[in-house]
Amino acid sequence: MTKKMNNNKSSFFESRRTFLKGTTYAVAGAAVAKGVFSTIVDTPAFAEDTKFTSTPENLVFYPPFDQWDSFTELDGQDWKRGGTGRNGVQSAENPDGIKATEYMLVPTACSNCEASCGLTAWVDIGEYKTTKNPKDLKVKKYMGNPLHAGSRGRNCAKGYATQSQMYDPDRIPFPLRRAPGSKRGEGKWVRSSWDDAMKEIGQKMHDTLKVGDEMSKKLIMYQVGRPNENGFGPRVPQSLGVDGWNSHTNICSAGARQGTIQWTNDDRNSPDWSNANLIFLQSSHAADAGHYFQQAAGRIADARKRGAKLVVMDPRMSNSAGMADLWVPCWPGTETALYLYLANRILNEKGLNGEDLVNHNFVKSWVNWDRLMANKEYLALLVEKKYIKSVPQGDSYEDFIGMISEMYSPYTLDFVTKECRIEARTVEKLYDMFIDAGARVATYIWRAGPIAHRGGWMIARSAFLPFVLRGAMAGDKGGVGLHHWHVISVNGKGDKATQAGEAPAKVDAWNELAWPPEYPLSTYEMSHLLPHLLLDDEWRDKWKAKGLNVPSKLAVYIPRIYNPVWINPDGFRWIEALKREDKMELTFNLSPTWSETNWYCDYVLPVGLAGERHDQHSEATQPSRWLSFRQPALRVALEKMGWKPKNPARGTLEAHIAAGLGEVWEEVEFWATLIAEYVDADGSLGMRKYWTSKEDPTKTVTIPEWYQAAFDNLPNLKKAAAANPKYKDSKYPNYELMRDMGTWLEEDNIYRPQERPLKKEGDSYIAHGHKYPIDEVEKDAFGTLMVEHKGEKQAIGVEIDGEIMDGFHTLSKKLEFFSEWFAEWKWPEYAVPIYPTNKEDRQKMIHLVTQVHHDHMEKENEFALNTVFRLPYNIHTRSVNSKHLMEISQNHNPVWINTDDAKRLNIKQGDAIKVTITDTLSELESGYFIAMAVPTEATMPGVLANSHHAGRWKLKNAVEIPGFSHKLGVMGLGAPLYDMTMDGKIGTLKPKQGIDAGMMERQDSWQFKEYNKDLDNIWWDGLSGSWQNAVAPSHPDPIAGNHAWHQKVSIELAGADDQIGDIYVNYENNMKVYQAWRDKLTRPLNSSDTLRRPTHMKRTGPKLSAKAYAVKITD
Amino acid sequence: MNITKEEIENRIALYALISRLMITEIDAEFLKSIESSAELLELFPNYKNWDKRKEFSNTILKERYIDVDYTNLFLLHLVPYETFYIRDDQMIESGGDNPVLALYNSFDFRVDLDKARVVSPDHIGVELEFMYMLCDALKKAYEAEDKEGMIEILQVQKGFLQDHLLNWAPMYLINMKRESRTPLYHDGAELALEFILSDYEYVSEQLEALV
Repeated sequence: MTKKMNNNKSSFFESRRTFLKGTTYAVAGAAVAKGVFSTIVDTPAFAEDTKFTSTPENLVFYPPFDQWDSFTELDGQDWKRGGTGRNGVQSAENPDGIKATEYMLVPTACSNCEASCGLTAWVDIGEYKTTKNPKDLKVKKYMGNPLHAGSRGRNCAKGYATQSQMYDPDRIPFPLRRAPGSKRGEGKWVRSSWDDAMKEIGQKMHDTLKVGDEMSKKLIMYQVGRPNENGFGPRVPQSLGVDGWNSHTNICSAGARQGTIQWTNDDRNSPDWSNANLIFLQSSHAADAGHYFQQAAGRIADARKRGAKLVVMDPRMSNSAGMADLWVPCWPGTETALYLYLANRILNEKGLNGEDLVNHNFVKSWVNWDRLMANKEYLALLVEKKYIKSVPQGDSYEDFIGMISEMYSPYTLDFVTKECRIEARTVEKLYDMFIDAGARVATYIWRAGPIAHRGGWMIARSAFLPFVLRGAMAGDKGGVGLHHWHVISVNGKGDKATQAGEAPAKVDAWNELAWPPEYPLSTYEMSHLLPHLLLDDEWRDKWKAKGLNVPSKLAVYIPRIYNPVWINPDGFRWIEALKREDKMELTFNLSPTWSETNWYCDYVLPVGLAGERHDQHSEATQPSRWLSFRQPALRVALEKMGWKPKNPARGTLEAHIAAGLGEVWEEVEFWATLIAEYVDADGSLGMRKYWTSKEDPTKTVTIPEWYQAAFDNLPNLKKAAAANPKYKDSKYPNYELMRDMGTWLEEDNIYRPQERPLKKEGDSYIAHGHKYPIDEVEKDAFGTLMVEHKGEKQAIGVEIDGEIMDGFHTLSKKLEFFSEWFAEWKWPEYAVPIYPTNKEDRQKMIHLVTQVHHDHMEKENEFALNTVFRLPYNIHTRSVNSKHLMEISQNHNPVWINTDDAKRLNIKQGDAIKVTITDTLSELESGYFIAMAVPTEATMPGVLANSHHAGRWKLKNAVEIPGFSHKLGVMGLGAPLYDMTMDGKIGTLKPKQGIDAGMMERQDSWQFKEYNKDLDNIWWDGLSGSWQNAVAPSHPDPIAGNHAWHQKVSIELAGADDQIGDIYVNYENNMKVYQAWRDKLTRPLNSSDTLRRPTHMKRTGPKLSAKAYAVKITD
Repeated sequence: MNITKEEIENRIALYALISRLMITEIDAEFLKSIESSAELLELFPNYKNWDKRKEFSNTILKERYIDVDYTNLFLLHLVPYETFYIRDDQMIESGGDNPVLALYNSFDFRVDLDKARVVSPDHIGVELEFMYMLCDALKKAYEAEDKEGMIEILQVQKGFLQDHLLNWAPMYLINMKRESRTPLYHDGAELALEFILSDYEYVSEQLEALV
């Protein structure tokens, strides 16, 4: 409403009008009124007393836990007729009454993002109890799990969407195999069985592994998208003896992980939102859409209710920024400057009462300043680099504070406003709020800046500096803790249930396809470069000549719930690699849904969604350690009512077939069966024993056996299960406790664990599960307790003020302002938080400067394109099978442009614009995408926003499967139909048909009709998003290895022949862009190196031996 | 008798109008009925002069502006239910304990919640429609020259306004006016508030004169 209309002058009482006199309103009331009253009374106003109430006492009503096996609830639809109060409960005598449904609540956990919020699957068991036909068992809804300490019974839209995903009309009902004689991507499929598929896959893996040489250990690759489980995946390649793990961290979080590792040797932080005074978000993550959205948002809301303030730093006004106390729109990639400005003021100014703003107690005790001040050679380097004027005279703490006060003094208000393109008053307000909050500032540095830019890791590194200086990194109440303090990882630790009784041995090989020698510090696998490396003969030959045994192909490539073609940059390069049968000999995707990647695989093997699989999952969402137990709801319900699978090692598959869901399986049972019964059926490879049962070594291990052993690693859970009379006669009490509850809180209120006394037993210290005699423990000059472990020096604790404590996870056991190992690994000039302050230095320190810095924006139509923001209702590629999530999102993805920029370029709301991407390092053009412009004040001038989470496509609307009763639809709810061309150099997509038309065209193909009665109401065409990821070249950061997502673009109004959704990609140029970033920016391993990577630094996937780490390179 | 048929019919028309405005999204018929009457249009002065009316068709106005505003005012950000305003815990009483249910029942009125697309019978649109029903009943009593019946109905109207609508609707309508982003709901909020206040005075005066 306009200001004029909403003025404060009230006319309510001053100018009471006369409505009834002298006027006749020429309208018939009956014609206008809605008519919701009926006066024909044919039912009693109040029926008999009933146990049901349609009015729970409060909104957080959940059935009592003791009724979860049988809880009867009134039907929601019927309730609208007036409830039992008017109609009574339905029965033979009262057929018009309200229907009551008997449910069994099976706890599980959401899998639609990484947060693992608790769910309960409401399984309708009433009919089954009568008929005993498993097909009468249906999950009617998914609700929250009130026992879950993290999610507290709450879920976001994605959680409740699990039901619509389960009964997706295009659900893949059985294993699919590329039709014999057809080429990959041709779209011809035949039905397979799990056993036939396992036979072929098992044989291929067996033949590869039995060679037994170094190369054979690099030829099988398991590439997991978001794992949503804790440790099972890496055990697969570990048990096969291969270095064959690949993860998605390089397109997700590598920068934040790198920056955090340098401070803490943990790869992510873990805030205590609930108790913070200031919530400081860089990006819309946490409160808006991402890690760990629903749980974090709830706790942030709790804190704000208490009076905490919220700051959101983001070039885009996200939902969170819109409701924040302060929105800080900062030029993307320059956030480092802002953090160092805060550090400068904290170091060089005083508080209101003249007090120091640095928390000296914390910094002096817990920061490794002493090692820096003792390293005169490094201090001299700081002088040489002009970070400081001279080496300090002394090496005291005060000298250190004096030195860094000087080092950060150039990060002034004037500098930061220009560098970050931000208003001075905003920066000053941010500083005031930061200081006012004391040590109770909580943050979660994760996506946005750290992943989007070259040098993004330095944003994370610098972000923590003001937090450290204020004492907010102490892991205390309302501050920032660390991930490994707050997480439980036992999903891969069921070893004791197996015939081997122990974890598989360390792997003896190093796979250069995942860990190339240019990126020894990457966090982690260089997964976005997999197709480039596979197809780059020159690169491979170069390293072969230097003595590395680089694979030229993969025998078996296995994506798992992952869609690399669509979500990675340079998608056409992925398609090229997948199409090459000489490069990827056999491929299969373990995937619940169709995806762009599946289209090019040999097999699509359908695995379960959130209520159809087993996983132990835990995340660091608060200062406690909780876990979720994801479960197949139909299987659990059936088993609780007496059903038994024929083969106990295939219970989930058999239950899903019996209940009519389809031949849908899960990874835990699949991998155990595949390896024990197909890859190494005779045990000759030595792998079978890791997947056969200890109870009966002739059989594959079962779920209850595996999880009984896995949960044995949690002392409190184990104790509770053993003490519970319900499980006293059970063989698997841990498993059954978790089957019934679906969640567990192992430890609560974890604060300042670094101060815990180092465990001591008699004359020994206990650390990392080992005993170290005290007289063999050496204390170094800085108070760190060192031991010799398997030939390596290791730190196990630290002395602080005379007390021996656990310390942080770093080599020094303190927070590392100075990352000594990072300096040794060829990057000394960046081993402390630093950022260039002028154009000349930006060129010298190019590794720290974003590829979309405003230095590069020279013409009036050139912009930085902000790509990495999540949408609250879409999660990468996991939502396309949910009717209700797709109805909200519609594959819609406009380009946000600031209103002033739009005006200047004569761009109006809804205009189609051509967005052309050019790399600022190689100056090569990648092509363009056509998108819809939306002028808005909600993105800062000069910065466009277009999320990389939309723009789905398919090449066929449905496929014929010989022998199947109808066509099988392909991503009907969320992906429009496109035409594609690609010739090895240029790739294009052009939209052909919308979602609505595509679905209506094949109504006979809709599955689960009972759940999809409103499919004919699909009104969205999905034609307003484009696959921008394919246009983007890979930008591998030279240190963290992340794909630096943001792009420099130029825009213009689209031409007459252009259509929103069109893309044109020069992927030959994109190959050159990746090579330029690799060759111009990295500092690869050379003959001076003896290790592939620092051994203390986390390396995801299987554990590797010292032999695998060792390297010898010939220059 | 001071009451005129015109007054009763005007009350019927106004309660029908404001209840319809608030019970669900408007439709083309509704806009037509306002726009075709100069007197009614006068009750929506800002809407009458809304520049977007010249720029867009009613369909576009509805889809882009009016329905968006409705969603904000009645579904998302404001809570148009009596129990929300009168209960200490701000819960909506959707079951049999809702205080207006007994009243509706005693007059043999049943609310079809599904048709109304509301979650409980104390929605502002439903309560206003109840007043419309009572005015319609008053008209029947007037036509039958049933003075006792009229007194009884007027007493019910006064009681319902006093115990229910006036007890909370002004708070909601003030909020609605402040939060509104279209002239239709802004003017509608103002109209409803002024009308129910003046109608209470009117009913009280008539009762005094009749009893």
